[in-house]
Amino acid sequence: MSRVVVIGAGLAGLTAATRLAAGGASVTLLSKGIGGLQLGQGTIDVLGYTPDRVTNPVLTLAAIASSRPEHPYAAIGAAGVHAGIEYLKGLLGPELLVGDAETNYQLPTAVGAIRPTCLVSPSMVAGHLKADAKLVIVGLRRLKDFQPKLVAQNLARTTLPDGGNVTVRYLSIDVPARDGEVDSSGLTYARAFDDPAFRVGFADTLRPLLAEGETVGLPAVLGLKDLTAWSDVADKLGHPVFEIPLPPPSVPGMRLNAALLAKARAAGVRLVPGSRTVAFRASDGAIVGVTIETAGAPREFTADAFLLAAGGFESGALEMDSHGAVSETLFGLPLAGLDAGPLVHGDYWGAEQPLFKVGVRVAGDMRVLDGAGAIVHPNLYAAGGIIGGSSRWAEKSGDGIALGSAVLAADSILKELA
Amino acid sequence: MTTKGLEFAGHELSRATLDACVKCTICETACPVSAVTPLFSGPKFVGPQAERFRNGESVDHSLDYCSSCGACTLACPQGVQIAELNSQARAVMKADHMPVRDQLITRTTLMGMMMTPVAPLANAALHNKPIRAIVEKVIGIHRDAPMPPAQTQTLQGWLKKRKAPTRKATRGPVVFFHGCAGGYFEVETSKKSIEVLEYLGYEVIVPKQGCCGLAQQSNGLFDQASAAVLKLCDELRSGGKDLTIISSSGSCTGMLKHEAHEIMGVSDDRLKDVGTRIRDMMEFLLDLHDAGELPTDFQAIDMTVPYHAPCQLKSQGMGQPAVEVLKLIPGLTVVESGAVCCGIAGTYGLKKEKYEVAQAVGKPLFDMVKRTNPDLALCDTETCRWQIEQSSGVKTEHPVWMVHRAYGLS
Repeated sequence: MSRVVVIGAGLAGLTAATRLAAGGASVTLLSKGIGGLQLGQGTIDVLGYTPDRVTNPVLTLAAIASSRPEHPYAAIGAAGVHAGIEYLKGLLGPELLVGDAETNYQLPTAVGAIRPTCLVSPSMVAGHLKADAKLVIVGLRRLKDFQPKLVAQNLARTTLPDGGNVTVRYLSIDVPARDGEVDSSGLTYARAFDDPAFRVGFADTLRPLLAEGETVGLPAVLGLKDLTAWSDVADKLGHPVFEIPLPPPSVPGMRLNAALLAKARAAGVRLVPGSRTVAFRASDGAIVGVTIETAGAPREFTADAFLLAAGGFESGALEMDSHGAVSETLFGLPLAGLDAGPLVHGDYWGAEQPLFKVGVRVAGDMRVLDGAGAIVHPNLYAAGGIIGGSSRWAEKSGDGIALGSAVLAADSILKELA
Repeated sequence: MTTKGLEFAGHELSRATLDACVKCTICETACPVSAVTPLFSGPKFVGPQAERFRNGESVDHSLDYCSSCGACTLACPQGVQIAELNSQARAVMKADHMPVRDQLITRTTLMGMMMTPVAPLANAALHNKPIRAIVEKVIGIHRDAPMPPAQTQTLQGWLKKRKAPTRKATRGPVVFFHGCAGGYFEVETSKKSIEVLEYLGYEVIVPKQGCCGLAQQSNGLFDQASAAVLKLCDELRSGGKDLTIISSSGSCTGMLKHEAHEIMGVSDDRLKDVGTRIRDMMEFLLDLHDAGELPTDFQAIDMTVPYHAPCQLKSQGMGQPAVEVLKLIPGLTVVESGAVCCGIAGTYGLKKEKYEVAQAVGKPLFDMVKRTNPDLALCDTETCRWQIEQSSGVKTEHPVWMVHRAYGLS
């Protein structure tokens, strides 16, 4: 059996590892800790802004792919993104993700902005904003990460992307998540909502306060493990409800991460969390093994192919030193985007910072390329945030890049090792 | 009042990781204790957050409710040593009022030495309700908490009396570290580990050895623990230079690999030597398999069995080697518990004031175990096995027992 090492347990790493294992490879996944997926909002962004607001992500990214050769979508292509999205939807099912690559939902955020995103939890769908909708945003007094007044007033003054406005009011109720706690996290509330008895008490408190025809916006804490908790709350209230994601700990992000991790485990992926991968060994240009810095003695994992899915600056896979020199911290790979002038400028709310476009360049099979377009190591592939060429956070393209590159890398590796 | 261990506490290694915290809350989501009680405000608040305000004295007494399971450190994607920081801060907090109970329950070798000669009597006392009620009142060990089962023979006793192994040692010598529990209480696990190693062709050297000091460390008794761990290193090193040291005491292995150094700041070449040579039993078997050197002519065992990877094994950052090894046995289906911790966390769950918390932490695991196989569960560390057995009523063995069986040795 061919052996593959995947480095990184975010959306890209988990998706690729699962696909590789399902495809017959023996996969070891090395990670420093829990991946970034659970810090996200439990949605899948494919393309949100160009900087104009995007309504059809896959159509718009096809245009980017042909006009911006340095962009990751040029290597991944619309077909790659499609494959990634369909694979993830198939893995996780409609209890966790709905939507398609042709349409963006326009969902309220926890500060009352309107965020375009592609795949969403079914618990968020009723929040897709349409003109003349009647909304009530409901907060929990002991949950300080969600301020219904802020959400409601910002939504009320905003013209919707397709024109028109929503009618929106707000209210707060006090339903303790557990005794003895006046300041509970969203996670504590989500665990409480897993209990059907808690949902009864919550619905009984809220129901009398709702008006005819209102759709109810709630913080995204409606159950951590029970994926039907939100629809049970809607049934008990007799009103449509939608979840608004909160800052971390993000409950919808945790749901996605837990489900995808379970899929990886079930596919037979050997998970080795808790240690940073710090070194590699190559022979004749090919990577032979990588070494983790674990308790006791360092440990080498040898394999036939390696997939770097360790993220970017935020996870330490890319680093900038005090002299402004940027490096990829494991393999010392050549980076694209360094010649764009000063990488950081002082106009923080102005133009994009060139630094965030720095990363590795990949071929269509997701093998890492050098500046001249030659393959760096024949058995080294990359996926996700380590790939440079886009400001993923500004475009809202990070999840689409992660999924597309993960699926393409996995398929290339399986084909190469077949 | 300050001692070498405590001067270190909250300063060097772990403290240096503090600035890497980006407040992402991933550790909060991994904590099994704050999930079941508001008495512990969570690893981020008590760890990297509160640490900034500590100047010797602790700013947050909920710290004592941290069980030191290490799930937070394992989950942190930024390399912050959250559990280590909390263990150090707790040691400082408790330094001038260390409960007698916490000093007593850490004397594991002494317990073993005293209980073995009077095993039936000791076991009867441990199961005697009036006696346990008095112990709870006077000492603070909860009356229903699991206690180690006293054995009539120690491992050293067995080694002296048994027949010499018949199989030739074709693979050379290894050193076996049995730990206090493996020497006095979980003797059978040590025997089976030794027999498996001998079956594979190793000569197993078992030097006379004492306690690693883990229980003292987790209760904040750093001086005693540091002395114990270094004495143990000397003893294990006497078994032979450069030999691999193998142990089926998962948490004691962790003490030698990283905890003595990272939590107590023990910086000594002897510890480094032992810490880099030691392997967990199942880790060692998986290493052999990865190198293509493990015979896999296992007999089939038609069974579905729940397996729980202990927190202190996971915190060693080697994944779950037992799962990979057990997969090689035909007919055997291993179901991972998915639980972070069984609740006991060494001595945490024994304590009167923590017992209910520990039981709540372990409840999903106990339920899962009962559901999966009411007759047998597997788990790598001693106190966790006692906790699972006591709370679920399901017999719990070290995974090496399965390997022993599958090689036809039992």
